[in-house]
Amino acid sequence: MSALLQTPLFWAALTIAAFIAGQQLYRRTGNNAFLPPILTGIVLVSTTLELSGISYTTYMEGGRFLHLMLGPVVVMLAVPLYQFIHTMRKQWLRIALAVTIGSGVTVACAVVLAHFWIGDDAITRTIYTKSITTPVAVAISEQVGGISALASAFVIITGILGALMIPPMLKATRMDDPQTLGLTLGICAHAIGTSRALELGPQQSAYAAMAMTLTATLHALVLPWLV
Amino acid sequence: MPGLLGLLIFLLLGGVLQDFLSLPVPAAIVGMLLLLAFLIIRGRTPQALQDITQTLSPLLPLFLIPVSVGIVTQKSLLADYGVELLVILTVSLIPGALVCAWIMKGGRSS
Repeated sequence: MSALLQTPLFWAALTIAAFIAGQQLYRRTGNNAFLPPILTGIVLVSTTLELSGISYTTYMEGGRFLHLMLGPVVVMLAVPLYQFIHTMRKQWLRIALAVTIGSGVTVACAVVLAHFWIGDDAITRTIYTKSITTPVAVAISEQVGGISALASAFVIITGILGALMIPPMLKATRMDDPQTLGLTLGICAHAIGTSRALELGPQQSAYAAMAMTLTATLHALVLPWLV
Repeated sequence: MPGLLGLLIFLLLGGVLQDFLSLPVPAAIVGMLLLLAFLIIRGRTPQALQDITQTLSPLLPLFLIPVSVGIVTQKSLLADYGVELLVILTVSLIPGALVCAWIMKGGRSS
């Protein structure tokens, strides 16, 4: 048994199994926003590591095969971004302003709060990446001296909170037309918000995906110079 | 498969360019911008790239699990600041979302 726990392939297989279990749970609970498959997957793998006493370094000998795919996946974001260029031509100024100022405001709030309330430099550097979709956030946090594992946690928690809070918030302020709602979900709640938008309708979903990709690109280009 | 090879080539090109110009931007982002420039110049998305996008997109969360599991190495940090971090992440969303929506909505309704 202990020999099996040292095998890299075991951990790669376990990660895939945990993800499949997460997808099943998400479907069976009627796409509950509290239970994105990635969250279940992380909890299952982390719990297994804690119980078996295996170190994260040993786990990564298997995990790195899956981790390696993040590079090509980030490059792939150019494909949807290219397709959105046509959609946004007419509204480009408003979209550009919403993406720049909106994402700037939420990141600035988080950074200022973290700086004065917690005051830990690595945490502050990591929280800068909270509004970027996870694969990009992980790459950027390494670049700006943050903690990539923590970046991933911030992004996922922000995504879950945004998917839950934004639709009722915009409804209460009567700004919940499909385009505005989709764009806001994409900017503030990235991939998890985008999958929530997919359930709300095609227009919400297209605007969310576009906003998510634009926010990620903008922050990826600006943050390394700024932080 | 040609789609995946294409992505890897742009990733490698991104790495070369990043290294050559000493850019602080990650190689994958440089690769993504190069691919975007390629698509704009070419004027349409090659079928192979569309295929690989449809294959890989649903698997994205899976590729993120290994790095996210690294949270187990940050237990003391979460024990110290977990509640503060949750409050910060919740509170900072509210002005951000309202400003986004207000800018996007503004002009069209008036």
